[in-house]
Amino acid sequence: MRILIVEDDLEAAEAMERGLAEAGFDCVRAADGAEGLEAARGGGFNVLIVDRMLPRMNGVTLVETLRRQGDATPVLFLSALGEVSDRVAGLQAGGDDYLVKPYAFAELIARVEALTRRRETGSVQTLLRVGDLEMDLIAREVRRSSKEIDLQPREFQLLEFLMRHAGQSVTRTMLLEKVWDYHFDPQTNVIDVHVSRLRSKIDKGFDKPMLQTVRGAGYRLEA
Amino acid sequence: MRLPRIFRTTPFRLTLLFLALFAAAASAFLAYIYIATAGEAARRTDREIEREMRTLTAAYERAGVDAVNQSLIERAASERPFLYLLIGPDGRRISGSIEASPVEHFTGTPAWTTFHVSDLEQGQPIQRPARGLQERLAGGESLFVGADVAEDEAYVVKVVRALWGAGALVILLGLAGGILVSRNVSQSVTNLTGVVDAVRGGDLAARAPVRGARDEFDELAAGLNEMLDRLERSMAGHRHAGDAIAHDLRSPLTRLRARLEVAYLDVEAGRGDPTQALQQALEDTDGVLKTFQVVLAIARLQAAGAAPDPTSFDLAELAADVAELYAPLCEEKGLEFDSELTRGLTVSANRDFVAQALANILDNAVKYTPAGGAVMLRVRRRTSGDAEASVTDTGPGVPEADRARVAERFVRLENSRNAPGAGLGLSLVAAVAEAHAGALELDEGPGKVGELGPGLRVALVLPARPERASRDDGIPRRS
Repeated sequence: MRILIVEDDLEAAEAMERGLAEAGFDCVRAADGAEGLEAARGGGFNVLIVDRMLPRMNGVTLVETLRRQGDATPVLFLSALGEVSDRVAGLQAGGDDYLVKPYAFAELIARVEALTRRRETGSVQTLLRVGDLEMDLIAREVRRSSKEIDLQPREFQLLEFLMRHAGQSVTRTMLLEKVWDYHFDPQTNVIDVHVSRLRSKIDKGFDKPMLQTVRGAGYRLEA
Repeated sequence: MRLPRIFRTTPFRLTLLFLALFAAAASAFLAYIYIATAGEAARRTDREIEREMRTLTAAYERAGVDAVNQSLIERAASERPFLYLLIGPDGRRISGSIEASPVEHFTGTPAWTTFHVSDLEQGQPIQRPARGLQERLAGGESLFVGADVAEDEAYVVKVVRALWGAGALVILLGLAGGILVSRNVSQSVTNLTGVVDAVRGGDLAARAPVRGARDEFDELAAGLNEMLDRLERSMAGHRHAGDAIAHDLRSPLTRLRARLEVAYLDVEAGRGDPTQALQQALEDTDGVLKTFQVVLAIARLQAAGAAPDPTSFDLAELAADVAELYAPLCEEKGLEFDSELTRGLTVSANRDFVAQALANILDNAVKYTPAGGAVMLRVRRRTSGDAEASVTDTGPGVPEADRARVAERFVRLENSRNAPGAGLGLSLVAAVAEAHAGALELDEGPGKVGELGPGLRVALVLPARPERASRDDGIPRRS
């Protein structure tokens, strides 16, 4: 997996590279917008990590230019600007995800992983399958080893997200943003309670627990 | 030349203007009175002289000079005799009560004149004012008829004196009244100006006196005072916010630094594994960042002064969403959770901020209510029309004396010092309420029941029609 990091803060970029390399990603760095655009045009990247504010060409312009030229490589925006309007502007420019600085490595890696996965599943699926867990998106039914599992609407959404990102770590913030569409940090980890409820529904009575807690990161659904 | 201050005030200038108008009106009125009284007296004398002249002329035409003389003799005995003089065609005096005609250069056309007659009063010779008419008779003689007008003149003098008096009184009263009024008004304005000057000089505690007259000056003073109250509170809030930020960030940063230092010392001395310390340090950092995030959000809301990116949404729907997020947490903690949501209450607000505010209120309720208690979420329309989202819990509550303080920015209660971010949570709610022209209210909960209570009711009130919308009254404006 190759990643392009377009970030003018050298130290931050180096740290990011180390963290991503640790997680098995191959990184290339660019220190400003023009250099980043040049590198991205060369192609061959699975994900672009683009800082919003860059010398010579800002991140939003960079991504807009790429998209106009038909490049659909997933983009993760990094920004110190956390306002809703900033996020919306970033996503409208063609960004796929938006991470506000400062962030934890785990958060960055989880989001990059999520973006690489997004590419692989291009076609529309009606049935999700992870190990012996099955989700019918049209009938809105969930089964594990043919045993039907009754889920609340939100639990269904939560499980759908986890299944779409099976094998990857997903963070609490990701769940809050993608499943609940909240962009603030609750004081209490309310997500944990929701996940543990879901866990009790899909793992109870089965030998192999699927919904695992990843220390320091979040959760992972394993086959 | 510099006029005294009182003469430079707007009220005094207005007073002068009105005084001028008033004086003009009074002059017209007094002139009318003069014409109607003094003028009338003079005209009446003239008419009497003319009538006498007609009578005598008629007598002359009937029977000549003798008839006139006869009439003059008869009239000489009357109480207030006219003055007569009959002059022959040769200009010589024929008869009469005066020696010579006061009309100089009589040409033959009727001529009026004002003159003086000599008289004796208590033995002293005096001149009395008189008026007369000389006309030519058919036979070439001419006749002069005059009247003593001393009494009329005296009357006119009296009237004129009275009128001058009245005029002077009008001007004096007007001036005095004007000075009084302008002194009163400029005193009020001076009071207000003094407050403005004091505030400009940095004294935010200055307040304008409200005199209790309930006039526009009182209204203005009250408005100014209220504005200053808000400003002072806000300034105090900012000052306090600085202290609170320092406290909220400095303590965890100090902890973090100490932890790193200890870990460093340990590693240097070759003792133990720093992993634990580093992990703790990361957690501390996250805590600091979380606090920082909230402080930033509050600062943004305050700086904007209004909710950014407002949208219209159903408050109950949003509350249901947030409730769904927190319901499992309540269950986990052994709390009974219930909600009562009135649908269809549309508010225009920043959805994210209102969601966060509700989450913070619920968070606090869950945090402070012991197991076995209950948390209730309500959305309703107030009788005032405002939308209200409230959370009632059966926790220990907040003493009444502290409630107002809790709603203020960055205030923590002593006994909640150990629960991180609690004060900040409600501070954010307060900032959200303020930015939406709403309010954060704290009341007692359901009261004390056994171990539970008295509880707390925290309400976020959002105006039914936000200020921004109410200003938008359909009249196109340039922006």
